[in-house]
Amino acid sequence: MAVAVPQADHGTGSLEASVGEVETYQYNDGITRMFVIATVAWGVIAMTVGLTVAILMVLPKLFYELGPLGELLTFGRLRPLHTNATIFAFAGNAIFAAIYYSTQRLCKCRMWSDTLGLLHFWGWQLIIVAAAVTLPLGITQSKEYAELEWPIDIAIAVVWVGFFGVNFLMTLVTRRERHMYVALWFYIATVVTVALLHVFNNLVVPVGWFKSYSIYAGVQDAFMQWWYGHNAVAFFLTTPFLGLMYYFLPKAAERPVFSYKLSILHFWSLVFIYIWAGPHHLHYTALPEWASTMGMLFSLMLWMPSWGGMINGLLTLRGAWHKVATDPVLKFFVVGITFYGMATFEGPLLSIKSINALSHYTDWTIAHVHSGALGWNGMMTFGMIYWLLPRLFQTKLWSVRMATWHFWVGTVGILVYIIPIYAAGLTQGLMWREMDETGRLVYPDFLETVQTIIPHWTIRIFGGALFLSGVVMLAINTLMTWMSRPAVYENPTYSAPRLLPYNGPEPAGKPSPLEGKPVLEFGKKVDQFARMDWHRSWERLPVKFTVLTLGAVVVASLFEMIPTFLIRSNVPTIASVKPYTPLELAGRDIYVSEGCYNCHSQMIRPIVAETKRYGDYSKPGESVYDRPFQWGSRRIGPDLAREGGRQSSFWHWVHFEDPEQVSPKSVMPIYEHLLVNELDFKQITDRVRAAHFLGAPYDRELEEAPEMARRQAEEIAAEIVSQGGPVKYGDTLVMNTQAVALIAYLQRLGVDLNRPVTPEPVAEPDAAPAGEDVEVEVGGG
Amino acid sequence: MLRDVLTSLDYSRSAEIALGLFLLAFALLVYGTLRLSRRTTDRYASIPLSDRVEDPRDDN
Repeated sequence: MAVAVPQADHGTGSLEASVGEVETYQYNDGITRMFVIATVAWGVIAMTVGLTVAILMVLPKLFYELGPLGELLTFGRLRPLHTNATIFAFAGNAIFAAIYYSTQRLCKCRMWSDTLGLLHFWGWQLIIVAAAVTLPLGITQSKEYAELEWPIDIAIAVVWVGFFGVNFLMTLVTRRERHMYVALWFYIATVVTVALLHVFNNLVVPVGWFKSYSIYAGVQDAFMQWWYGHNAVAFFLTTPFLGLMYYFLPKAAERPVFSYKLSILHFWSLVFIYIWAGPHHLHYTALPEWASTMGMLFSLMLWMPSWGGMINGLLTLRGAWHKVATDPVLKFFVVGITFYGMATFEGPLLSIKSINALSHYTDWTIAHVHSGALGWNGMMTFGMIYWLLPRLFQTKLWSVRMATWHFWVGTVGILVYIIPIYAAGLTQGLMWREMDETGRLVYPDFLETVQTIIPHWTIRIFGGALFLSGVVMLAINTLMTWMSRPAVYENPTYSAPRLLPYNGPEPAGKPSPLEGKPVLEFGKKVDQFARMDWHRSWERLPVKFTVLTLGAVVVASLFEMIPTFLIRSNVPTIASVKPYTPLELAGRDIYVSEGCYNCHSQMIRPIVAETKRYGDYSKPGESVYDRPFQWGSRRIGPDLAREGGRQSSFWHWVHFEDPEQVSPKSVMPIYEHLLVNELDFKQITDRVRAAHFLGAPYDRELEEAPEMARRQAEEIAAEIVSQGGPVKYGDTLVMNTQAVALIAYLQRLGVDLNRPVTPEPVAEPDAAPAGEDVEVEVGGG
Repeated sequence: MLRDVLTSLDYSRSAEIALGLFLLAFALLVYGTLRLSRRTTDRYASIPLSDRVEDPRDDN
């Protein structure tokens, strides 16, 4: 396709003051092509894994016959792979494609460094591959969307900040367009905030290359995680996609955004409000009430800017709606923006405490997330890619008809996915809390509530399959378009004068209309300030703008974090709560590694139906030794916060061997490998020492951890045998198995609260867990 | 020492101060945004429509 070499048409009058000599430049579309192809490829993989985990929920034993391979393919290990692949591989590469394409054109210059671009691309793909390998192997931190272990986290920080962030910011610095268009603001917020979230949520003490303990514990870890988790949605899945919307929608519609003023308000509102809203993920948990309420209030305030943004997007199509009928790109954008509006209406709704009490831990959250991820992120990405393909590959899109089919199949797929899952979530929530007139639970058997929604899960598989088939169509269209590309890409050369530092009239130099009027000097200064020229100058200064955006985010974060971490009454310690024994600590690591948190919560809310089902509600002081916290966010299985002593050790043994032996129709996978795999007693010492370093008051355990673990394992094995269990499983002695360690952990859960306090010297302050204050209180039971 | 200082501070009004800060900053931004001229916003809004440099490039 022939592309004329464009020549910028410059006036001369205003140039003299602020522009320099004429330069030529070319855009680097090669890097965008790479990210687009990666987006499509990872999209197919991520959604295939998603479909697989959806099938596993209905057929939990699907991969059991695969033997050792089946161990890697359980729901608990694959679900994080699905979420990470969707967010960081599919959406991540889409963001980068959007930013690399649009930033160059909005700045009217090439990306600052081609080398950094390539390092960014390949570094990011390596990180994704590392995630795809380590997560099925059970190498995880168990913090949702932040599961990757510390070496990969460091790589993410280097690639994000060192390669991507530097390249992006330097491009802004060397741009030829004076004003930074609003899409760039959204990108700036993304770059700085994601870096901040990632670094602070992943501060850990390493225990070897593949294991670490969070420096935060219990309540504080939960707070940090959902500060991260919520803002990952805000600044990884929302702000960059809004930047994408503000650039690609006007391009596709060939008209400017409806209201630029509204887009400015949209940006600042999101930056100021979003960062406060994280605690709404922890309503009715052991998080302090004030933090929870503040999270709810700010979430409710998000309604306004989010809908302002949606309306701004849809009204950009004013006078162009006839194009929507024929252009699949605009179709994707319209549905994507509509889903943005729906998801951002529902998010604040779910943050209202009384609604959250019903929805939390249920599939309602899953439906909400997929409404946003498939509808907003997915459709916006597809629209962008279909718009980019002919431009990047300099040929016609291979099949517009197939793109249109993708749109319809994808849209129907989303609906077939989310409608039954919304119904499932509501069903779960209502069944869990249903009580008869005598105050008893109507559905005391948790399994009954699971069985009721299996038909919903089955229908969801078809919705997911439809959506995936749409992505496969995109992959085919991309491949065929790529195959019809020209032998050599034409790369237009543009010319424009360099942009020199602004030397026009400075705000301070402008005369005030109040000059010479009978007004106080103070009034003149206020008027000057209110003219907001200082903000206009910020908008020209990318580094200053970046620092200010970072400041807005940091100030908001500190207002929530400092009190949460430092007010004594927030986390009153409980005298009877002691650190885990070495064997229990090892068992806890297995719990984390298997991804049990994906199905089981450990947080009983102070809601009557919950305390009736699970026991006394969870106290903040109960999880002071939990690094990371294991409160979970979903209940496919029952809550385990008070699991200790509920079942015999032999029951757990049989449950791992085949859950259906003791819980007919259970959807839990078989964990037979835990009965076969031997526990590495030697490595327990390092873990005990790490926990001690972080504040757990261990003593003898520091030197005798393996021996103490063996003794406890022998006791549990003897218990299992006395209850009718085996001495050996295959060639492995029961006492040496991983299952025994996990049983030790499960039998410990929740029992400390009512344990009698044995008189002993009060611990020295420096022996308390980091970040905790010693306030010896006897927990109530 | 920093820890001692921070723990001795009174955080009981954090939520209210935070809300006040937000409202102040937001009100300021709304006011400033509404004062932008139509000519200026039209020029800003048209930036993505062209891949070439459009003049004049300065706000004033």
